[in-house]
Amino acid sequence: MAIRCVVVTPERTELDREADFIALPMYDGELGVQAGRAPMIGRLGYGVLRLQTTAGPQRFFVDGGFAQVEADVVSVLTARAIAVDLLNTDEATKSLAEALELPSDTPEQAQIKETAVHRARGQLRASR
Amino acid sequence: MANARALDKRRKSIRNIRKITRTMELIATARYKKAMDRAAAATAYTDQITKIVSRLADAGTDVQHPLLEQREKIRSSRVLVLASNRGLCGGYNASILRTAMPHIKQVRDEVANVSIDASGKRGVNGLKFRGIETDNQYLQFEDQPAYDEVEKIANDYLAQYITGKIDRLDVIYTKFISTSKQIPMIETLLPLGSLGDETDASSNAGAGGSENSQYEFLPSAESILEEVVPTSFKVKLFKCFLDSAVSEQVARMIAMKGATESAGDMIKQLSMTYNRARQSQITGEIMEIIGGVEALEG
Repeated sequence: MAIRCVVVTPERTELDREADFIALPMYDGELGVQAGRAPMIGRLGYGVLRLQTTAGPQRFFVDGGFAQVEADVVSVLTARAIAVDLLNTDEATKSLAEALELPSDTPEQAQIKETAVHRARGQLRASR
Repeated sequence: MANARALDKRRKSIRNIRKITRTMELIATARYKKAMDRAAAATAYTDQITKIVSRLADAGTDVQHPLLEQREKIRSSRVLVLASNRGLCGGYNASILRTAMPHIKQVRDEVANVSIDASGKRGVNGLKFRGIETDNQYLQFEDQPAYDEVEKIANDYLAQYITGKIDRLDVIYTKFISTSKQIPMIETLLPLGSLGDETDASSNAGAGGSENSQYEFLPSAESILEEVVPTSFKVKLFKCFLDSAVSEQVARMIAMKGATESAGDMIKQLSMTYNRARQSQITGEIMEIIGGVEALEG
């Protein structure tokens, strides 16, 4: 029994393949999906999407978005999906520094800053 | 009678121009195909978003979000005009500007504080010529706009909208309907108004109902909605950029096709005149010789 994993970004379908096990980086922690999971829609955080395939493990950094599980098909909608090997630690460190520099005088600004920091931290974690 | 040599020179130059326009047509065709594929890929994403929204609505979630609500008092507004960086694409830029001008005038009458952004050199220069200064200029978009760059612009607008710097965002772009039809459109992207296409949502909802699958929302339906709305705005803006890119290539393709054909016609016409001129020159010379011989004999 295998599940199909489809990763879609606005530019193209990044990935469409079978996997035995998928770990989704949800907004509030990791969620593992195996065949026969109940239908679910979830909000993704900034983290690593892991696939356990017959060819070996695969890891992608996903930049927020949504995941939908239905009938053994996991569709991941995200702005960006980058293979973890292609991430650059220096760049991630720099973007974290930039995010920490953002102003947070009003609640709205604070929220924008928080999102930027979350993203940068996720990217940094994934790149290591 | 026209000078045969001058005619020949002109014919040659037109032939060279025809070569250029034909090449441009071929390039535009190839780019159009690529841009079209990207637009199709983006549709897969929007379809999924629409599906998620309809599932949320099915589950009885109250679809409400600050980005969806019309603000009572609009104090400042922003207009984004999407044109191209290059010319030689027929009426593409002209029709965008023709749509933009009355709209900008109207918004300026209604709202005190209006700023204009433009994408593409032609758009910036066209607006400048008409006496409108642009605030932000985006010149980096060619035939394949990258999502990363559009997202940056979208995030800027979202931040401005959330912090109350702007109360409305209108985008003027060319909507691609088919290869033979592209129309300039004015769309209000902020506030969003509705999520996805209404008709799509209802048809998908029907399908979802028959499957009768109960969805689990993680962490909660509200949290997902919070994320869906900004994403949906970003994708909509991205779609505007993609549509503009496709329309530009189509417009260029058609314009260059017309130019190539006209050059062919002109060459035909000139060849005829040239042949006639040459013939009359030869006839004239023969007449002169015969005249000379006759004079000698006489």
